Amino acid sequence: MILRRPFLSLLAAAAFVLMLGPVVILVGVAFTAGSTLAFPPEGLSLRWFRAALAYGPFIDSFGTSMLVAAVSTVIALALGVPATLALHRGHPRGRRIMENLFFAPIVVPELVLGLALFQQLMVGMRVTAVGALIVGHTVLLLPYTVRVVGASLALADARLEEAARGLGAGPVRTFFTVTLPVMAPGILSATILAFITSLNNVPLSLLLTGPGVATLPVEMLNYVQSSFDPVVAAVSVLLLALSVAVALATERLVGFTKVFGR
Amino acid sequence: MTPVVELDRVSHLFGARGGKGGTTAVADLDLTVRPGEFTTLLGPSGCGKTTTLRMIAGFLQPTSGRILLEGVDATRTPPEKRNIGMVFQSYALFPHMTLRDNVGYGLRTRKVASGEARRRAEEALALVGLAHLADRKPAELSGGQQQRVALARAVAIRPSVLLLDEPLSNLDAQLRVQMRRELLRVQRETGLTAVLVTHDQDEALELSDTMVILNEGRLEQQGSPRDVFPRPANRFVAEFLGYDNFPEVPGHGPVTVRPEHVRLLSEDAREDSGETGLDGTVGEVTFQGSNCLVEALIDGVEGPGSVLRVLHPGDDLRPGDPVRIALPHRHLVELPAREVTTA
Amino acid sequence: MSRPSTSAEAARVASRRRLLPRPPITILLVPGLAVMLFAFCYPVVATLAWPPDGDPATVARETGSLLTDPYLLPVIARTVRVAVLTTALCLLMGFPVAYLISRAPGPWPGRLLALAIFPLLLNTVVRTYGWIVVLGGNGLISRISEALGLGRVQLLYTETAIVLGLVQLFLPLMILSAYSSLSQQDHRLEEAARGLGASPGRAFRDVVFPLALPGALVGCTLVFAGAVTAFTTPQLLGGPRERLLSTLLYSRVNVSLDWPSASAIALVMTALVLVVGALSGRLGKIGSTTS
Repeated sequence: MILRRPFLSLLAAAAFVLMLGPVVILVGVAFTAGSTLAFPPEGLSLRWFRAALAYGPFIDSFGTSMLVAAVSTVIALALGVPATLALHRGHPRGRRIMENLFFAPIVVPELVLGLALFQQLMVGMRVTAVGALIVGHTVLLLPYTVRVVGASLALADARLEEAARGLGAGPVRTFFTVTLPVMAPGILSATILAFITSLNNVPLSLLLTGPGVATLPVEMLNYVQSSFDPVVAAVSVLLLALSVAVALATERLVGFTKVFGR
Repeated sequence: MTPVVELDRVSHLFGARGGKGGTTAVADLDLTVRPGEFTTLLGPSGCGKTTTLRMIAGFLQPTSGRILLEGVDATRTPPEKRNIGMVFQSYALFPHMTLRDNVGYGLRTRKVASGEARRRAEEALALVGLAHLADRKPAELSGGQQQRVALARAVAIRPSVLLLDEPLSNLDAQLRVQMRRELLRVQRETGLTAVLVTHDQDEALELSDTMVILNEGRLEQQGSPRDVFPRPANRFVAEFLGYDNFPEVPGHGPVTVRPEHVRLLSEDAREDSGETGLDGTVGEVTFQGSNCLVEALIDGVEGPGSVLRVLHPGDDLRPGDPVRIALPHRHLVELPAREVTTA
Repeated sequence: MSRPSTSAEAARVASRRRLLPRPPITILLVPGLAVMLFAFCYPVVATLAWPPDGDPATVARETGSLLTDPYLLPVIARTVRVAVLTTALCLLMGFPVAYLISRAPGPWPGRLLALAIFPLLLNTVVRTYGWIVVLGGNGLISRISEALGLGRVQLLYTETAIVLGLVQLFLPLMILSAYSSLSQQDHRLEEAARGLGASPGRAFRDVVFPLALPGALVGCTLVFAGAVTAFTTPQLLGGPRERLLSTLLYSRVNVSLDWPSASAIALVMTALVLVVGALSGRLGKIGSTTS
């Protein structure tokens, strides 16, 4: 394969280097003993990891990020799963319009949505930064939950439910014994995808900050712009480790490419 | 005359790395296809017939052995340099091209002048009776029509050999029989050499000049249908060709006989001189319209060797009836004593 | 007084009976729709038309000046240029990768695809920060160039840096889109072309690529929209020298507190994304009817 397609293989190798190279270099930088961003690192040490864990704003913002991701994922599921069920099984009038409304946040630039929530909620209604973050992330995640859960429902035969009803199960029993198990992998996928999406978000969260309140990626961005020491490289390595753990867990639970390959 | 295709001790191992391990798909296969002949590779799924065809086409490389096309070693030649006409099971028509462009594709890659290419594409479409649909796209055609286009596309380049990979298996039964005749007509009219892969013995019997029966990557028997059908070389071939009976006949080694060749007589009747007679009892009887499928049990024999399945004209036998079983000698096929199983 | 027709009455009673004991399942849509209206439609429309200290007229005026301002117009041009370049490079590199992945033997397609999309799990700061080490004045490339006697090169804070960073960011999206159409393609089509005399390159050009074009088009749209709206990468790799619409918008809000102008930029950005989305939708439709 590789020998038969030297040109294509070279291009592919270049693509992988481009995609992963900067991350690999960052890992090297994080373990440097020196105090500047340099590759190859000047000696090995864990000092920047200690510095990262001792830096208060990172710890606080990590807490904020986890809180916002958890709460907005739960709300997005609580709103999205019933809505998806209604869209797929209720045959409502104007289904296309409603679906498009749920998908609209994908089309509108996140920075624009962030600006809108900042102006209307934080300035206009005096909502706190955390409140605005939760509202914003919920809106951001809703399309994912509706689409992913919808995909699992669309695959499942509606006649399964008719079969259950025909066998004597009432609507509630049908829901819990047939519909929900059918949706379960979709809901699990949506949960993982939504949580990661929230955790990594920058543009939407950028303007939704308050005194001492920001998400971790935004705090990292701010830090990177004001100083050039490798602390953020160390934080990145910690997040990389977390991501590998999430990837492995996802692979075991539902299949990595099934969740993130959409 | 130089054979069109020659396989010289060709083997193919799947999943082999560095010549070790892997499953054998084809083992030490020799095969010769002469010009103008219709050869079929016949066998159950997994017997290596499609692997063999794909090696002739160049889509797979043999792990060992040589492939000669028109006398020249082509083992390492890529498919586009082999001048083959391949018809796929899924037809593999290019969905974004019209029929004319599909059929003309092989001519364009051969840099045939566009006017000439167009004329030959239409000629090939006319050969399969679809000239009037030349501007359609494949999706607008029925399965049978798509099949014809695939055939026309393969024929248009005037290949040295036409390779057909179960081309009829996606069609319904009636259309399949019709397309068989069509296929034979096109092959005879163009005078092309053809190699067809199939798991359908009727197809192989009807189309072949030579049929090659494969099992687990090995050659079991090879010859014209008129030679192979009445004389299966071993139990595998016999079973594959519908010889249902492997009775233990006292005084004989392993034999086989077709259900339509056994006669069931009344208990006191005598067999003819060319027949072996055995006493038996009627087991299950299944009514099939013009005749009955009767299981006759040979008296004094135990186990599976006691059962003879017989196509019996008339509906006069009932379970438990005593019968005389007559086995005509000229239809009784002797089989080798013991299957040599090779690992 | 005319009595209402009995059939109409019966229908009304029946519908009430159906409604009362069991509300229709569509009621489950209400909370989701309410949140979307309150937290998405209202703020976005209000902001694009009516920022806190302005009115539609000021936004319109700001948008007008944005489109004529000799300082701002180049920002729009640069944003489009960067997005087009990014999209082209992603297509050029991502499509072959997707092709190789889709044709890899055994378990390799899954593994390689996982490797290609793994970066999607990392936030954009993590993914972009490494470039500073590579491209900076003291960075890897600069030092290699110096060692070769070519002198130092400062690639950081240039358009090239932004494009490199964005290509890295969006390659996984392109690979995914192209892979999803390539993996559905019947491999026999490519073999059929080869059997008919086409070289591997020609089979790719005549059969594989045209048939995967819809997937590639989806990928291009995603990458273009992403590149127009991306923030972290232009902020870190372009800096204040090479502003794009997104970084300009941020500085208008955070530095100059000029909300009507921010709204105008937001409007232009949204319009860009919508126009390209609609365009590719049209293209995709044309492509699917002719093929």
